[in-house]
Amino acid sequence: MLESLGGNLKDALKKLAGKTVIDKAAVDELVKDLQRALIQADVNVTQVMQLSQAIKHRSLEEEPPKGTTVREHVLRIVYEELIQLVGSPVEISLSHQTILMAGLQGSGKTTSVAKIARYFQRKGTKTGVICADTFRPGAYNQIKTLCDRIHVPCYGNPEEEDARVIVRQGLSHLSGVDILIIDTQGRHALEDELIQEIIDLNDITRATHRWLVIDAALGQQAREQARRFHEAIGIDGVIITKMDGTAKGGGALSAVGETGSGIVFVGMGETIEDLEWFDPPGFISRLLGMGDLRALAERVQESLKEDEIDPNALLSGKFTLRDMYKQLEAVNRMGPLKQVMSMLPLGGMDLPAEALDGTASKMERYRIIMDSMTSKEMDDPSVISGSRVHRIARGAGGTPEEVRELLKYHKTMKRAFKGLKGGDRNMQRLMKRFSRSS
Amino acid sequence: MLEGLKKKIFSVRRSLEESVTEVSPKDDSGRTGSVSSQIQEGCVERDETQGPLDLSLTERQGDQKQEPSFIRKVSTLVREREFIVSSKNLDEPLFELEMSLLESDVALVATDAIIDHVRKDLVGSKRKIGRSIDDIITKSLSDALLSVLGEGFDLISYIRNHPRPVRILFTGVNGTGKTTTIAKVAQFLTKQGFSVVLGAGDTFRAGAIEQIDVHGKRLGLKVIAHQEGSDPSAVLFDTVAYAKAHGIDIVLGDTAGRFHNKANLMNQLAKIKRVIEPDLVLYVDEAVAGNDAVVRAQDFADTVGMDGIILTKVDMDPKGGAAISIAYAAKKPLFFIGIGQGYDDIVAFDPVSVVNELLSGDA
Repeated sequence: MLESLGGNLKDALKKLAGKTVIDKAAVDELVKDLQRALIQADVNVTQVMQLSQAIKHRSLEEEPPKGTTVREHVLRIVYEELIQLVGSPVEISLSHQTILMAGLQGSGKTTSVAKIARYFQRKGTKTGVICADTFRPGAYNQIKTLCDRIHVPCYGNPEEEDARVIVRQGLSHLSGVDILIIDTQGRHALEDELIQEIIDLNDITRATHRWLVIDAALGQQAREQARRFHEAIGIDGVIITKMDGTAKGGGALSAVGETGSGIVFVGMGETIEDLEWFDPPGFISRLLGMGDLRALAERVQESLKEDEIDPNALLSGKFTLRDMYKQLEAVNRMGPLKQVMSMLPLGGMDLPAEALDGTASKMERYRIIMDSMTSKEMDDPSVISGSRVHRIARGAGGTPEEVRELLKYHKTMKRAFKGLKGGDRNMQRLMKRFSRSS
Repeated sequence: MLEGLKKKIFSVRRSLEESVTEVSPKDDSGRTGSVSSQIQEGCVERDETQGPLDLSLTERQGDQKQEPSFIRKVSTLVREREFIVSSKNLDEPLFELEMSLLESDVALVATDAIIDHVRKDLVGSKRKIGRSIDDIITKSLSDALLSVLGEGFDLISYIRNHPRPVRILFTGVNGTGKTTTIAKVAQFLTKQGFSVVLGAGDTFRAGAIEQIDVHGKRLGLKVIAHQEGSDPSAVLFDTVAYAKAHGIDIVLGDTAGRFHNKANLMNQLAKIKRVIEPDLVLYVDEAVAGNDAVVRAQDFADTVGMDGIILTKVDMDPKGGAAISIAYAAKKPLFFIGIGQGYDDIVAFDPVSVVNELLSGDA
């Protein structure tokens, strides 16, 4: 359903293609589709209306610069307006600082605290965590377990009921750390006592930063909640969590708008490493359900060595096991295939969930199995017969079922890539560009 | 619940009323005082409607923009009270309604469905006599909302009439409040005189087992738990076995939060379902969720199935439009809404009274 929205938007953009004069009807249609896409992405309704007015106005009033097409002109305006809405990413300093985390119940504060601690730890700073959530049962166990895994000191006291007391104790207990992160209990705008508590915690810690954690799925409430938090403690950064689901994170934009801050990090998964920089163009692409070419291009550049994947082979449907082997190696460096695929402008194309859901360990097994194949088998999987399956399985220390599963996976992928071929010139150009830039 | 929406709906009702014109040849009998001189642009032209009616003429000439079946063969009496609404006149009030719904976090698809319902209902269908325009609009809105919200569900009588133990499994994405909700539902059922055992099926999230364990201790309930990282199916299987052995009425099974787009985690949920064969699968989502509520509710309904919905954090977002989104997407009844942090902060959901309240009075 969301994909089709992205599709509509693309259709509307297509209608602008080839036009020499701005067509009011086409702009109206584009703006209408844009509105629907943004509302569906949970961007604040008022913001959407303001934004669309601005786009409409500018598209019709501004003279397109010489040499640009109508489509480019309108696209640029849309992009500029959206970038403004999204705000700029927040710079993260590594100097001595205290970070107070705030957010609604269940928004993912504790998990984010652990991820951020991990981030700073990997930058080589001494990092510590205080658990000031005295309400939710198991909260201390949760953050303690996560911190223990990465050997970050965590102060907490499940017996103490006053968060202020814990934080005071924690401050002296962890006085030696450079970066101190304080996890707090979930609270919402209408809970006056808890809002007072976080005001007190902010005073006690004299926090350098106060970051608001926003669930990507948060809807129109985001604005009101952010406003209240901002009023209370002055939010200077927003963290979007759970972006590995299907939610688009539009609510976070209200928080950005309301607090006049920017987005610091984006949480993209359940493990402690799944924290990403905020990338405005990528975020916008996702918001609109259109692929993010730029981020993908950069990632591909970073992680692919030359001639590792032949995009033409992928598109011609000649996707051999050898290609898949390279792809798995690349994916190891680029992150889960699903994340990579989500950045491709595939529009409504449906990749089977199983094809994208391969866990890292499974991919590793596949690679090992393929190591037991001959060159001929790698180039032409169709020669793999029953006896070859057994030989490969023995060689890889696995079972014939595993080998067959791998072959099935390969078939699924092959079909998926064949689907890409479907005459989309842009896609082909894009793939070519990757191969050149790498 | 659905606060704020009430006020807006009231104003929408007013403007809808203004755009609905009652056409009556004997205008002194018009109950609402709408007389033919008030016919607005886009409505049936006066000449056609005034004389003894030629229905076909009215239909064809009077209202070309409307659906063809606008005026059917009805008695003269009914004709006198025909409400004539043109699609064009509805645009503005319906846009207003649309914005109100969207601002209350009713997802776009659900909003579209409601607007369509009202539009179809008001444009070009027969009206019964003796009802005020407001009645008709209220009825139309109420129908639209109820068609989306569905019927309620009487959990207590379901449990009473069901062989023991009744197995209830809780599912949902991360951070919607499943574990807290289980504690509340346990408290609710205990108060109704049932015995309850909790199964710590969230073996993934750090601290989850401790969390449900503390709830169990506070509520004086047995919690069956294995270690972190163990197979949730096994934990819940043991919970059911415990209930059988000890004659416990109800098993409440927790699960780890998971995103609907992770096939392996959804498969794990399917396995849990196979192993413990729950009588009810309840899907937990939060009132503050926006449009994604529709996507994930639909996915959960499609992949693991659900029998009912619990909406949490309604105290956080009194507008609670997510209730409408989720009920619309999943086509399942809403069992409970969670309205706070305390164990008693849970209320059985009754769609009819919510909608009545929403459309009642003068806002």
